[in-house]
Formats: sequence, C-alpha cells, structure tokens
Amino acid sequence: MEKIIVLCAVFLMTVFLFIWKHQRVHAHSSAPHHHNYKIGHKHGEGYSIDFYAYASKIRQWNATFKVYLSVLTLILCIVLDNPYVSVTVIIAMAYLTVIKGNIPVTEYLSILVIPITFILLSTFTVAVDFSKQPIGQYNLYLGFCYMFTSQEKLEKMAFLLLKVFGAISALQMMTLSTPSSEIIYVLRKAYVPKIIVELMSLIYRYIFILMDVSTKMKNSAKSRQGYCDFKTSFYTFGSIASNMLIISLKKANAYYDAMEARCYDGDLVFLEEDKKIEIIQIALAAVFIIFLILLWNFTR
Amino acid sequence: MRKLILKIEDLHYTYGNGKSALDGVSVDIYEGEKIAVIGSNGSGKSTFFLNVDGVLTPEQGKIFYRDIVINKKNLKELRKNIGIVFQDADNQIIASTVSAEVGFGPMNLKLPKEEVLKRVDEALEYMNISHLKDRPPHYLSGGEKKRVSIADIIAMKSEIIIFDEPTASLDPLNAMMLEEVLLKLGEEGKTMLISTHDVDFTYRWAERVLVFYEGKIIADGSPLEMFQNMEILKQANLKQPTLLKVYESLVEKQILKDIKAYPKSIQEFKEILGE
Repeated sequence: MEKIIVLCAVFLMTVFLFIWKHQRVHAHSSAPHHHNYKIGHKHGEGYSIDFYAYASKIRQWNATFKVYLSVLTLILCIVLDNPYVSVTVIIAMAYLTVIKGNIPVTEYLSILVIPITFILLSTFTVAVDFSKQPIGQYNLYLGFCYMFTSQEKLEKMAFLLLKVFGAISALQMMTLSTPSSEIIYVLRKAYVPKIIVELMSLIYRYIFILMDVSTKMKNSAKSRQGYCDFKTSFYTFGSIASNMLIISLKKANAYYDAMEARCYDGDLVFLEEDKKIEIIQIALAAVFIIFLILLWNFTR
Repeated sequence: MRKLILKIEDLHYTYGNGKSALDGVSVDIYEGEKIAVIGSNGSGKSTFFLNVDGVLTPEQGKIFYRDIVINKKNLKELRKNIGIVFQDADNQIIASTVSAEVGFGPMNLKLPKEEVLKRVDEALEYMNISHLKDRPPHYLSGGEKKRVSIADIIAMKSEIIIFDEPTASLDPLNAMMLEEVLLKLGEEGKTMLISTHDVDFTYRWAERVLVFYEGKIIADGSPLEMFQNMEILKQANLKQPTLLKVYESLVEKQILKDIKAYPKSIQEFKEILGE
C-alpha cells in the first residue's frame, strides 16, 4: 500500500516540478519578446497554442474533417468508457499531433501538463476517502484521521484518468492543428447561429489587439515606476483597466469606420477556402473509428 | 483635359462634441491626379477623407461622383469606388488570416467566390506578400501589416485610393517600397489622395497639393507654388522641402544659374549640377 502512495507522491512531485520549471522558462522567454512581432510565443500558453495551430504540418488538411474526427473520437472515448479505447485514442492523437503535425514532443507535453494537473487533482478525490476508523483495503494514518482507498477504487481512478486524458488529447489534436478562423468556419457550416460565429471571429481578432495594447500600456507604466510597490501596482492596474475600456470603445469606432469604408453592410462574411479532403484520409479515419468500436466490443 | 471624377461642394462637418472639423470645403478632383493633402494635426484631413468616402455624413454640402450626386441610396457606389488605407493598419485589419482580410472588401461587393479568390491573389502578388497568405495578422510586422492594408484596397479595384498618413511609423525601406507602389498605381491611372506630414515626399511625388487649415482648404495648387508661398507654409505649420531650399540657396549664392529647373529628386539635382 505504501508503495502506491509513495509512487503517487513521486509522480505528483515530478508533475509539479515540471510545471514550475516550465513556467520559469516562460517567464524568462517572455520578457525580451514583448516588442518584436516575430513568430513565437510571447504571452504564455494562450499565444503558443494558437501559434502551434499555424505551424502544424497537418494544417493543410481539411478543417471540417479534423474537427469532426476529433469530436467523434472524443464522443467515442467517453461513450465507450473502455481503458483500451482510451489508450488507443491517446496514442493515436499524440501520433497525429507530434509525428504528423511535427510539433515538438516537449511542447506537446508541456501543453498537456495544464489539463493533467486538473485531472490528477480531481481523480485523486475519486480514489481517496477519509475516515476516523482504519477501514478500506489500504489506509494511511494522517494523525487525526485515516485516508483510505482500495484496489477497485484505484483502478477506477486510473480508468477515469485515461478516459479524460484521451478526450482531452482528441480535442488538443484539433486545437493544435486547426487555426481558430478555420474552426469558426466549420461552425458556420454546421449552422451555428450567425451572431455567435461573427462574434467569435471578432473576439478572436480582438483578443490579440487588446493584449497588444495592454502590454504596451503596462510597459510604459513600468518604465515610469508604475509597479514600484504593492499599492502603486494596484493603482496602475486599475488605471490600465479603465483606460483599456476607453481605448476599446475608440478602437471599435475606428474599426467600424474601416469596415464601412470597405462596403460592410451588416453581414460579416469572410473569404474562406475549402481545403481538399483526400479519400485516403477519410478511409483511415473510418478504419480508426471502426477499430475503436471493435476494440471496445472485444474487451467488454 | 482630364475628366472630373469627384466634385465636393461646400462640405461642413461638426463632431458630436461640437468641434467643427470641416468648415466649407470645396474641391474638384480629376481622373488620375496625384494629390497630397497636407496640414497640421487636427486640421481636418482625416475627417475630410471619411466624409468623402461616405463613412461620415456631412451636415451640409454635396459630393458628386462622376456627375452623380451621392445620397443615401447610392452611397455604396461611392464606397466601392473610393478606398481608404487607414493610418493604423491595426484599426483596419479585421479578419484572422491575411487572405480572408484581403478578401473582405470583395466579399462585401458580393462578387462570386472565384472572382474574389482571383482578386485576392492578384492583390497579394501586387504587394509582394503572397507568402503571407495563410498567416494570421497578429504575427505580422508593422511593415507587413501596412502592405496587407494596402492590398485590402487594391483587391477592391477602386478608382480613387486615399492613403491616410501612409509613411507614418514605417522604416525607410518600407517607406521606399510604399513609394514604389504609389508610382505603380499612378502608372495605372488611379486617382490618389495622400495625407502626409512629409514635405519632401509631397514635393517629390505630388502633382497637386491641398493645404488644410482649421477645416478649410487654404491653398490648392502645384507643390512648387505651395512651397514657395511662405505665408501659407507658416499658417499651416509646414516647412520647405530640403531639396527646394538647397536649390534656392545655391541660386541665391549664384553657384547655380537661375533656370527655374527646380529638381524634384536627387537624381534631377545631380543632372543640374552636372551640366
């Protein structure tokens, strides 16, 4: 019993160490990148996920195909509820993203670390319970109460972990290979209401503009000792926030003018190109899906 | 005689805060003219452009496009034929890939998709940015964004192109590339209006200069006339182009003969010196 707990602790420690190291690397790399527009991640994870979508080798694949494949895999992974299926999904999606998409393994793992932390924290509570009495298959005395678990529960935790992880890697395959604009395009084709689709594309573009503006304001505040102590930092943060509101209103106006100047008349339509879908891709995807179902059928 | 393409009559515009931005502007613009619009900050140049393009509605005054009075119904016709390249490319770029961005105008013109694709490819080719086609705008440099914003307008194939301070915040190389594009567009017979603070550029490029001061056009003529009129220059917070100053002082010191040659470029100046 102790072995398992020690193992768990060691695993958790490595994960946390990895996150901590990763964040430190980011803090270091983000500073000098603020003012050049070169490709690369600048402001943490949000930026890099978006960046990898553009850098991915499988970006050329048909977006609809990718979105449907990933959503279907996700649904199968959850509905079939089978550890073998989950493992297959994890491996297949990692293969697609890392080998086919040519995204560095370390980067892929570092992106997955964020959800892994949440999954571990939540599945841990599934496996472990507390009690005043020393009950359960395995228990650990914590001084004031017992923490206990059983083989069955640990198994359940592991399966749940695999299932969630498989589902996440399926979605990650989509986000790491399809730029947001193409995902929005797929949604438009899937008859998602126009207002939502239009808002999505505007918000997506605006996120980067707002981030840019806030970085610039922050930098100029920093250069004038705006963050010298705790109180000043609060004051500066508030000023920047209120200033951002005014600037976004102004920008919205300027945008509207620019859109009107280009004959905008209430319908936000963008040029979207259909990428060719290859029969072999569909065939392979079908084989993959059928394989998942068969696997589930034989290991039930 | 060139054909009249745009006629503006007694344009008045006041902003919501009561500040009068245009105060009776009248001007005739002919086909293929290269016009520089100069004047200090806040003199009404940008407001003038937005009015001309029909984005802002003037309180008073008329705009004629090829002898047709512009009203609410045919406003789209005006916007279709006049394109504005805005000063800040970030305020213009709206789509999340370059090709979608350049295709935004043509899509709004309700052109068939094949035509839109063709125009996008042409415009990107024209601005030499075909390789950026699938890039998102937030990973582009300032100069690249500017090119995209110009390609936006080229794809619309408008007859009149307005540039609002195009050289602001561009490095010398990008500014030079911009001037090449302007020359190329000029050769194609496009009518161009450019607002700028760069007197040297104005002197070199423009055929006609409009000087704005407090919402009025205080002078309208060739660059040479304008830059020799000290009174106007002082009123509009402008200075003389370096080349003109150099030439005039050389003539004054009788190093050069006063043949009224007025060189517009270093090249021309060298030719004069060589003679």
